[in-house]
Amino acid sequence: MAKKIKGPQIILANRLDDGRAVFFTPKQNWSYQASDAWLAIDEAAQQQAMEAAMKSDADNTVIGIEFIGASDSENGPVPTHAKHIIQNTGPTVRLDLGYQAEGAGA
Amino acid sequence: MYAYDKYDHAIVSARVAEFRDQVERRLSGALSEEEFRPLRLMNGLYLQLHAYMLRVAIPYGTLNSVQMKRLAHIARRYDKGYAHFTTRQNVQYNWPKLVEAPDILQELAEVEMHAIQTSGNCIRNTTTDQFAGATNEELEDPRPYAELIRQWSSFHPEFAFLPRKFKIAITAADKDRAAIRWHDIGLVLKQDAASNLGFEVVVGGGMGRTPVIGKTIRDFLPKDDLLSYLEAILRVYNAAGRRDNKYKARIKILVEETGVDIFTKQVEDEWTRTRNDGIDFPAEEEARIRAHFTPPPLEVLPAWSDLETISAKDPKFSSWLRNNTDSHKVSGHRIVTISLKPHGGIPGDATADQMDLVAELADSYSQSEIRVSHEQNLILPHVAERDLPALYKILNEAGLGTPNAGLLTDIIACPGLDYCALANARSIPITQAITNRFNDIQRLEDIGELKIKISGCINSCGHHHAGHIGILGVDRKGEELFQIMLGGSGDADASKGILLGRGFPADQIVGAIETVVGVYMDAREEGELFLHAVRRLGTQPFKEALYGNA
Repeated sequence: MAKKIKGPQIILANRLDDGRAVFFTPKQNWSYQASDAWLAIDEAAQQQAMEAAMKSDADNTVIGIEFIGASDSENGPVPTHAKHIIQNTGPTVRLDLGYQAEGAGA
Repeated sequence: MYAYDKYDHAIVSARVAEFRDQVERRLSGALSEEEFRPLRLMNGLYLQLHAYMLRVAIPYGTLNSVQMKRLAHIARRYDKGYAHFTTRQNVQYNWPKLVEAPDILQELAEVEMHAIQTSGNCIRNTTTDQFAGATNEELEDPRPYAELIRQWSSFHPEFAFLPRKFKIAITAADKDRAAIRWHDIGLVLKQDAASNLGFEVVVGGGMGRTPVIGKTIRDFLPKDDLLSYLEAILRVYNAAGRRDNKYKARIKILVEETGVDIFTKQVEDEWTRTRNDGIDFPAEEEARIRAHFTPPPLEVLPAWSDLETISAKDPKFSSWLRNNTDSHKVSGHRIVTISLKPHGGIPGDATADQMDLVAELADSYSQSEIRVSHEQNLILPHVAERDLPALYKILNEAGLGTPNAGLLTDIIACPGLDYCALANARSIPITQAITNRFNDIQRLEDIGELKIKISGCINSCGHHHAGHIGILGVDRKGEELFQIMLGGSGDADASKGILLGRGFPADQIVGAIETVVGVYMDAREEGELFLHAVRRLGTQPFKEALYGNA
């Protein structure tokens, strides 16, 4: 049974070549920053975003496409769950690793 | 230690070539992710939160210095300069690229290592006592049996798709350092009344969401029958183990649902039918393998008289000597535990530089041998007592001299939500907070042996069920909470921890551990260890201290 989607969502995947977490953007590409993500508020927008993301996957660049909960902020969407916040930044115990160390994420 | 023969080399090299082709086909799109996923998992390549993760097998936790140097090189060349030693005597890399995974496997194959069967529903790395072959407490070195099991179980066609993963552990000492009663099969090397060697066979242990202590189904199995008996157990499990629900698919559930007596009869019947089918190893094969485990040529030395004098002058060295070294079967030598648990650090992590250093120290001081413990430490198994002060100095300068083996800060912890896609909560920051609080060695020694084990989810990779204090991270509506359980043990007197009550937020867990330790310190009898005090007192005094009388 498909997972019930609640609230605003963004789309998360992992890049095929290195596994890094990426987010689907309104420009219909993949960004390593959640703040660039396409925030789909309602069911219709979510369906539209997912269809576009799946089409983008046709070029075999990402895997594990899924919705994750997010909220809006003045800097753009922010994941709501700790797991996805950590994916967007890096290990909280190694601030020298992950996107947070590369000046991106959060 | 075991050295590959031409067949081993051919098999592992062929597997690397096969996986290289599979990766190329995946990257080209010829294989879908659905098709590729089981293939990469068969080669130990997972996908975690930030990147792929490669789990490399360290058979029964034994490494030589050349292999350790290669692991360091891989950390530096293909990863981010470090590696993580796990609770199953394996090593994991957290940041490999898919495109480079075949190159990593090639590098491993060159030093007789691989990642085969480190994932999937197959027989995993057989683990054992990290002091095997060195401790004076064992009947004999259990590693030749572990190697026989490795060879029997590697690519075993009948057991490549079991209902669920399958873990075997073996010990030859009364003091169980391999937590064998928490494994699908645990083996205890024993002698019968006529001094023949054999095994007590324990089946159906496991952690996860349904913690079960294994049950003895045979008090004594002659050692020459080992493989045919294991085959009989696996056959019964493979045929009758549940495949409809992954949470009920481990052998522990089969044993529980079938009943241990009926399960045992099924195994014995199967064994009676198949034991003469030529499954057991011929004597010459056992001799061939055993020859690889000939004890190193250590000089029998008198106890080094200066050790006591030096120790008396240096309290830090004295603590390390007391906590991080153990008696050796050859006089004048010690087994050294290198703590990968610096206070405030990440349990089991080692930098490439540290791994290179350990390899060099193994060459200089320990017959080029290294072990990995399931408690996520490294071992130099054969160190002359006269070399201990120099060894300690080097280790200490490299951040590897924390004298806390077996003490409260020698914490097992899974990677948790900082890395793992399955986790619900972060284990490592909790570990760091606890070890930062309890960072005084004198206080730790006063508290005495106390094993804390932390898991970030119910899958229990951090062995929380077997912790004297177990901590389980859970997610409650987006908040990380940490439940405490008491009284677990992975030793020969294995026991399941008992949950005390509701979980604590991250910022309260250190205080809760302080409270638990405080109750113990107030109530303990002369010389009474924490675990024994919990068994005597029960959990009620600890509950009252944590939650009040309500």
